[in-house]
Amino acid sequence: MKKQTDCETSSEGCSGELGQLSRRHFLFGSGAALLTLTLPTLGEAQVLRSEYPRQKIGNLSQLIFNQPLKFRYPWDHVNAENYLIRLSEPAGGGVGPENNVVAFNSLCTHQGARLDENFDGKACIAGPCYLHWTTFDLTRHGMVISGHATVGLPQILLETEGDEIYAVGIQGLIFGYSNNRQAPV
Amino acid sequence: MTDYQQINDAIPLPPADAKVSTTVCAYCIVGCGYKVYTWPLGKEGKPQAKENALGVDFPGEQFGPWISPNQHAIVQLDGQDQHVAILPDFDATVVNPNGNHSIRGGVLAKKCYHPSAPTKDRLLYPQIRINGKLERVSWDLALDVMAAVSKHVLEKFGESAWAMKTYSYEFFENTYAITKLAFEAIQTPAYAVHDKPSMGNDTAGLDDAGIKTFSASYQDWSEADVLFISGTDPYETKTVLFTEWMMNQDNKIIMVLPRRTAGVAYAEKNGGLFLQINPGTDTLLHLAMNRIILENGWEDKEFISKWIADEWEIDSGFGRGTRNTPWQWRTTWGSIGALSFEKYKDWLLNYAPAELESAAKITGIPQEKIQQAAKMISGGGGKRPRTSFGFEKGNYWSNNYTNTTSFASLALLCGAGNRPGRVVSRLGGHQRGWIGAAPYPRTKSPEKLPGRRRLELDLDRWVTAGQVRFAWVIGTTWLGAMTASQELLKKFRQQTTENPHQVTSSNREEIIQTFIDRVDSGGMVLVDSDIYPVEPLNTELADIVLPAAQWGEHDGARCNGERRLRLYSRFSDTPGEAKPDWWAISQFAQKMGFKGFDWKDANTVFEEAARFSRGNILDYYPLVWKAKQDGVKGHEALRALGTTGIQTPIRLEENELVGTRRLHDPELNLGTPQGPTSHPKWLTHFNTHSGKALLIKSPWELFEDYYERISPKRDQGEFWFTVGRINETWQSGFDTLREKYLTDRWPDAFVEIHPDDAGPLGIESGDYLRLWSDDILVQESGFQHIEPKSFSFTQLMKDGHIRVGSGEMKAVAILTTAVKPGLLFGMFLYGKRMGNSLVHRVPDPITHSYRYKLGKANIEKRGESPFKNDFHKMSFKQRDYSGT
Repeated sequence: MKKQTDCETSSEGCSGELGQLSRRHFLFGSGAALLTLTLPTLGEAQVLRSEYPRQKIGNLSQLIFNQPLKFRYPWDHVNAENYLIRLSEPAGGGVGPENNVVAFNSLCTHQGARLDENFDGKACIAGPCYLHWTTFDLTRHGMVISGHATVGLPQILLETEGDEIYAVGIQGLIFGYSNNRQAPV
Repeated sequence: MTDYQQINDAIPLPPADAKVSTTVCAYCIVGCGYKVYTWPLGKEGKPQAKENALGVDFPGEQFGPWISPNQHAIVQLDGQDQHVAILPDFDATVVNPNGNHSIRGGVLAKKCYHPSAPTKDRLLYPQIRINGKLERVSWDLALDVMAAVSKHVLEKFGESAWAMKTYSYEFFENTYAITKLAFEAIQTPAYAVHDKPSMGNDTAGLDDAGIKTFSASYQDWSEADVLFISGTDPYETKTVLFTEWMMNQDNKIIMVLPRRTAGVAYAEKNGGLFLQINPGTDTLLHLAMNRIILENGWEDKEFISKWIADEWEIDSGFGRGTRNTPWQWRTTWGSIGALSFEKYKDWLLNYAPAELESAAKITGIPQEKIQQAAKMISGGGGKRPRTSFGFEKGNYWSNNYTNTTSFASLALLCGAGNRPGRVVSRLGGHQRGWIGAAPYPRTKSPEKLPGRRRLELDLDRWVTAGQVRFAWVIGTTWLGAMTASQELLKKFRQQTTENPHQVTSSNREEIIQTFIDRVDSGGMVLVDSDIYPVEPLNTELADIVLPAAQWGEHDGARCNGERRLRLYSRFSDTPGEAKPDWWAISQFAQKMGFKGFDWKDANTVFEEAARFSRGNILDYYPLVWKAKQDGVKGHEALRALGTTGIQTPIRLEENELVGTRRLHDPELNLGTPQGPTSHPKWLTHFNTHSGKALLIKSPWELFEDYYERISPKRDQGEFWFTVGRINETWQSGFDTLREKYLTDRWPDAFVEIHPDDAGPLGIESGDYLRLWSDDILVQESGFQHIEPKSFSFTQLMKDGHIRVGSGEMKAVAILTTAVKPGLLFGMFLYGKRMGNSLVHRVPDPITHSYRYKLGKANIEKRGESPFKNDFHKMSFKQRDYSGT
């Protein structure tokens, strides 16, 4: 599987604290100041979208089937490495005319091993992770197909504007993080 | 009550001064070590290493430690809401080093009770069914009623009319109390554990060969060159045993299973072998492999000459006693029985069903693969590899006795059983939490085979025969866990809710009189202790429902699959009036007037029970003995050992506690037993009276008539329906069904079907299927046998002990080539979906083990499930995917 080169990480994605709310507000959806919204494709999932940067990560016309594009988001940090991929079938949270363009974080949520070589656009599967063979369903929001991860693979929320693809949020906690919206030290 | 809702892109961190306790996973046999962090709300830690209890800067290292959102919850502790994070022990050096974990243990936090969590439907108070509805009552009233009815039943109908059906594994403190009540105080033979209709060995053939079922250590598996694994994919159900001690090692793995799983995919990609077997035919596979090994002289001659009993040794000394107990008659009975190596070889080489060609045909495994497997495990005459043999329910829940005897012989011929990297063991299901306060009263069992061979009573058949008047169930679903479940349910309804004597008042005397009238009219009073509503056992049937405390709500102890004993610490309040099961037993027994049940706490039970573990493989008596010398409580001595614990049997050497890595280990230097230490012979030898292992004849004929009768008729649309478990769900989902993360993955029961079978029926992945059969066999009588052949399947049919019943279930179809055409695979039980309804209720007549894996079903499509096109629930992707 050939990979395209890393895309530029926008400066917006690498700067400072994202959220100014107190920890308590973050953790328990009790404050009116907390903007949560439910995207149609994400069902019950609550997304603190306004807390995340909007970052251009690629173009639909340049994204080739089954050739994942690596990018960092929301921080320029080793754990925040993600893949944008065009799948063979429509997917939950998928963008583009066929709803088959998705992006996911690349650290296995079992023990943090890299899934780098294992994003299969044809089978729509990430994995098996080289450590313990966990696999994730890329059409179903990164749900574990088989294995040990205690959360699904974090999905990068995408939006398109014409041909341009933007990352606008993350559904799920990145491995190793305590808060996606807090800048790595 | 605050309604907490956690968002999923952040987690609270435990502060540096968070309270930390150690425990062990509540679920599978592997028993990974966990640490529990609790801290008050509003006192969260910070991402800097110095300001959180993990001592890690967040974001942390690539491989952790980390807290995933499903590892945090809110619990009640000392009456206050508190944070809890339950994390695999990153400091562990045993079992799960570096915080390895399964998906089940990894989300333990979500198991905890909180009134705002999905766990809020816990049973909180004792209840009695009044006018058909469960009403809250006091413990005192519930126990008074139970005692009054029990006294009446025991006096009028005798102890065998008073039954218990309980788990065998949920902590020593509880099983000790249960067995003290059932076997010492009441002395009833009407007792069965959660996964069998009676007491008795799980894997009798292995035991009879002289091999203890949990003789190995996890390290032994990692030291093997070849692993022969039968009837289980440990990747699925003993996850960390596989991911930590079997995979990523310098080995080759052979798996014998009817379906291809993720572990099989790994094994095949790494030089291993997959023997895709037709369900129930393992005996023939083992015999064919044994024969290939013996024909070629590939057996381990040195080991055999040293460790296999010869003719004289088989019957030496006091022989095998009076031949009344099951192991005595099994090893002496002519149809099976132990043979010397020469006689075994002679028998096998002249035994037609062991011929490769016919074995290949019936097992469905190509001849060359059987030959290749025989060569791999024995070395094929070249350098002998260290081969270890592990097995589990797919093997012994089909043709229990001869599958396990022939498996033992296969391992012994290859020189396995007592050396590093060369072990034979069960891989296990539940953890090991059984201590018997007294032996099962077999002499009181109304069930016998020819001669004076008493068998443990088949409790399901006993209930069906209307002989049980009072039954107390503790922590098992009973109906769904046993076979022909819907047929059993019909009988339970008849005996309980359909009996004319139903409680209509909360008056103590009226309740007691109603129940006495019920039992006198031939009905049954049913009590159920559990943590949750269980459909239909306590939601529909039970007259009295008692609320139990769960894992994490009381201190308890038990062992894992390598006999590692640890303390499971309490870290949260027990909700409502829920109580540990030992407490309920103690209160009931005192109302019955039994002495010795007035324990003041769990530690008192633990210390008392220690004496009854002596001489057993779970012997922890020296730990309690030494704790007393040191002036500490037994539980505290164990707590101090953290997640490492100590492997039983425990010995005392030079005033130090010493664990036992491997059983039957001739290298073990024991010396003279000191203080409280026992040195049973099986520590250094096999568990037979000669200390040498037995080769036991395993004739196919004992099973063949049954196998032919139940094999699906393909021309009538019948499929094999084989049941099992799935990695992401613990057992029937009895508590994990409340964990959203896991139920999103498996929102309903599923059934795997081959595309070639599904296509012509218009079935696609995500469609609902109705599985049904009107040809489910149910044995309802036949407790006493005079003639040698009268307990064979053919004769039981002829004598009218077996009738034909029916069963059905609904499940979501998954099309996959992981199963062969003609075979369906599904959950044995998932919530209220009872896969076992499609399994016959005719136990192995020799051991009373059910043939769970051999169900059958016709199928029809019943529309689309809501999950077919829902991106949030259920995945239909290939589970045995091994990459591009």
